[in-house]
Amino acid sequence: MANRSIQSTGAYLPLLRFERKSARAELSWAGLGGNGRGRRAVAGWDEDALTQAVEAAREAALPVGEAIARVVFASTSSAFSDRSQSVLLSQALNLPRDVETVDLANCRRSAVSALLHALRGAEGAELIVAGEKRATQPGSAANLTWGDGAGAVVVSNGPGVARLLGAGRVNLDLLDSYTSVARGFPYLAEDRFVRDVMLSEALIPAAQAALADAGLQASDVVLAVVPEPVSGLYAAAARKLGLTAPNMIERLGAEAGELGAAAPLFGLAMALEQAEPGQIVLLAGCGNGCDVLLLEVTGKTRRRPAHQALDEGAPLTNYSRLLSLTGGIQLDWGPRAEVNQKVSASVLVRHGREMHGFIGGRDQGGNVQFPKTPFPVNPALSEPGRYEDVILRDEPARVVSITADRLNFTPDPPFYFGLVQFENGARVVMEHCDAKGVAPEVGAPVRMRFRIKAIDRQRQFRSYFWKAAPLERPQLAAKE
Amino acid sequence: MAQGIRDKAVILGMGCTRFGERWDMSSDMLMAEAFGEALADAGISRDQIGAAWLGSALDDVNVGNSAIPLATALRLPSMPVTRVENMCATGTEALRAATYAVASGAVDIALALGAEKLKDTGFGGLPIRTKGSVNDLWMPYGSAPGTFAQLAGAYAARYGIDAVDLKRAMAHVSWKSHQNGVHAEKAHLRKAVSMETILNAPMIADPLGLYDCSGVSDGAAAAIICTPEIARSLSRDALVSVKSVQVCASNGWEMQYGEWDGSYVRNTRIASGRAYEEAGITAADLGLTEVHDCFSITELVTMEDLGLSQDGRAVFDVLDGAFDADGRVPCQTDGGLKCFGHPIGASGLRMAYEVYTQLKGRAGVRQLKNIDFGLAHNLGGQPSNSVAAVSVLGRLE
Repeated sequence: MANRSIQSTGAYLPLLRFERKSARAELSWAGLGGNGRGRRAVAGWDEDALTQAVEAAREAALPVGEAIARVVFASTSSAFSDRSQSVLLSQALNLPRDVETVDLANCRRSAVSALLHALRGAEGAELIVAGEKRATQPGSAANLTWGDGAGAVVVSNGPGVARLLGAGRVNLDLLDSYTSVARGFPYLAEDRFVRDVMLSEALIPAAQAALADAGLQASDVVLAVVPEPVSGLYAAAARKLGLTAPNMIERLGAEAGELGAAAPLFGLAMALEQAEPGQIVLLAGCGNGCDVLLLEVTGKTRRRPAHQALDEGAPLTNYSRLLSLTGGIQLDWGPRAEVNQKVSASVLVRHGREMHGFIGGRDQGGNVQFPKTPFPVNPALSEPGRYEDVILRDEPARVVSITADRLNFTPDPPFYFGLVQFENGARVVMEHCDAKGVAPEVGAPVRMRFRIKAIDRQRQFRSYFWKAAPLERPQLAAKE
Repeated sequence: MAQGIRDKAVILGMGCTRFGERWDMSSDMLMAEAFGEALADAGISRDQIGAAWLGSALDDVNVGNSAIPLATALRLPSMPVTRVENMCATGTEALRAATYAVASGAVDIALALGAEKLKDTGFGGLPIRTKGSVNDLWMPYGSAPGTFAQLAGAYAARYGIDAVDLKRAMAHVSWKSHQNGVHAEKAHLRKAVSMETILNAPMIADPLGLYDCSGVSDGAAAAIICTPEIARSLSRDALVSVKSVQVCASNGWEMQYGEWDGSYVRNTRIASGRAYEEAGITAADLGLTEVHDCFSITELVTMEDLGLSQDGRAVFDVLDGAFDADGRVPCQTDGGLKCFGHPIGASGLRMAYEVYTQLKGRAGVRQLKNIDFGLAHNLGGQPSNSVAAVSVLGRLE
């Protein structure tokens, strides 16, 4: 256990941030709409728990010289109940085919439980990623206070940026919120009940157990990461425990929303991005009980993906667009939307790994192409191709041609697409994403994002591929 | 270069339906109408035809698979009939097949007929089609205007053309076609439109507005091809000869290899170069062109791809009226795809129909003077992944 450390953290938020005051204005007639304060992160139509998790994992620097041995994906909102998301994650990250893959579902604290397990002694480097895009009903509190996003953490042997000092756990079938398969939307219990019972029956006992396990006092804690299913939970816990540390989740909740299983890892990334070596971080996972970890910061992280994700984005003020993106309303897009791309299982097994991993090929003349073809596109070669794998997802690229297509159906028009040139010579006609804030122009640099390629609504299947996104996101104005 | 087919086949007769929203007709009725006109023009009987080719691009929404729809619609008597498909270049593919059959000596008289019945889809624009089960995993499902709109940005970037100037030139392309379409009795759209209306139309795919786009239509067109000897034996004069037909298809070079900048259509350049050589002419010999103006920007860059404008100068040539009906090389005297209409499989043959009509001196108020050669340019796919078909027709010496 002493030899295991957190090596790095990653975090991701989607581009759009819905201004809650817009919902309050729309719903005032009904007495709904919450307090109207802050924003929530809203995933694009082509994002889900998996795609966001891939992006968070990409932000977590993988250990140098040590292969990832185990991948854990945690979510309460996976698009599939029987299609391993961790396998898809491993393909998108181009991890070896024999990497251990684990899927955790049904519990918001599962990522923290997995982190504890990893810190206590699994062998080899481990990547734990959590992503959420939870369906919520229009008008519900969850529709406005919950958000979409992902967090990631890498654990391995040897020194890193944080190590485990102690942990405590309480399991409790507390229904602060639950989501049944049949209902599909969450059902929330009364705030006051949740606050009182979660404190007394779960969070405080788990925290006290962790402090005792670590031999620490509450006053030793400098930063806290405590998810808040209801507001005021952490403040009440701090009073009772004697904690004075600020809670990272406070800013996250105000500016992006409650991220479910992803919240603790996102908050941990925030904490480690600003902590100094020697400081103590309290990390809690809440969901049918609590896991509390006490971590000692042992190094400085060089990157700040969590803070950057919070600082950047594009405001969304259109309430009906929020509802459309979150599945709250089904707009009639007309006959052009009737198309369904059926994905063949045999095609996917042949080509899925190269599609999900964005693997092109370098031919014997040195030219890189995507996808590989029986004969290389390189005019200098006339023999059937033999290729060296080339991963394109991190390769610098720029726009050759682009348009904003308003004719073909897309769930969030317009449909940006065009030819993208990679620095290594590859070029691919690609869909663009996240172009709403800054429309790309010819010559503009782009980066690759893992996204949903198409949703077959007849069979409720989705395929994944990479899309081009502007290199930079716009800065959000300071929160109100 | 191979010997080629110049003057080895002539057009004995042609027919073309009125293009448009033909709610009153199914594809077999459209085929019969075009064929009837062609047969009457040729002055032969159906039984004299030795082989036929049907061009239809979107079998899943209209005409149907295989050659059988044509053989059945026309009750062609037990002959070889073949369906061809090459996206929007389908019509010219049918013409090429019939011409090659005659030129080779395999057949004395051949029929090429293109037909499409698009308005039964129930919506505007072309239907979305699969790109193949593997390509669907990664290729974007952009619309036709979306794919061609990208020419505009890349063209402007390459030549430093101001976006406003380019938009005006594109608008002029459409304005000119609407002016010409007024005089084409069988055209889908026969109404002149002001530059202001074109420039202020709703955006379809940046920077293409509504009037930068051709619509889709129902229609059919047909050509009856025979040897010059047979035509002469039928005492025909002023024969229109097929001087050349060339096709060039992308092999992925544009989309996958790093030299193409997106500002032109490479296959048009290659196919037209070969077509000029096969016909024994240069671009300067052309008296008119019917080009694939699926979108205004396509026609604009095609003027350069065909060698009718210098690279980077088409914007200015268009604005100077070089391709207007009274210009240096009139383009789309019948209104083009933009106004005559675009029933995909028929379009290549409709282009040939207008060139044939002009060479025959039958174009009425649209008639051009002193023309010896006309060119039809038919483009399938999208600029980054295309099939270009270029044919040259001229008088048989």
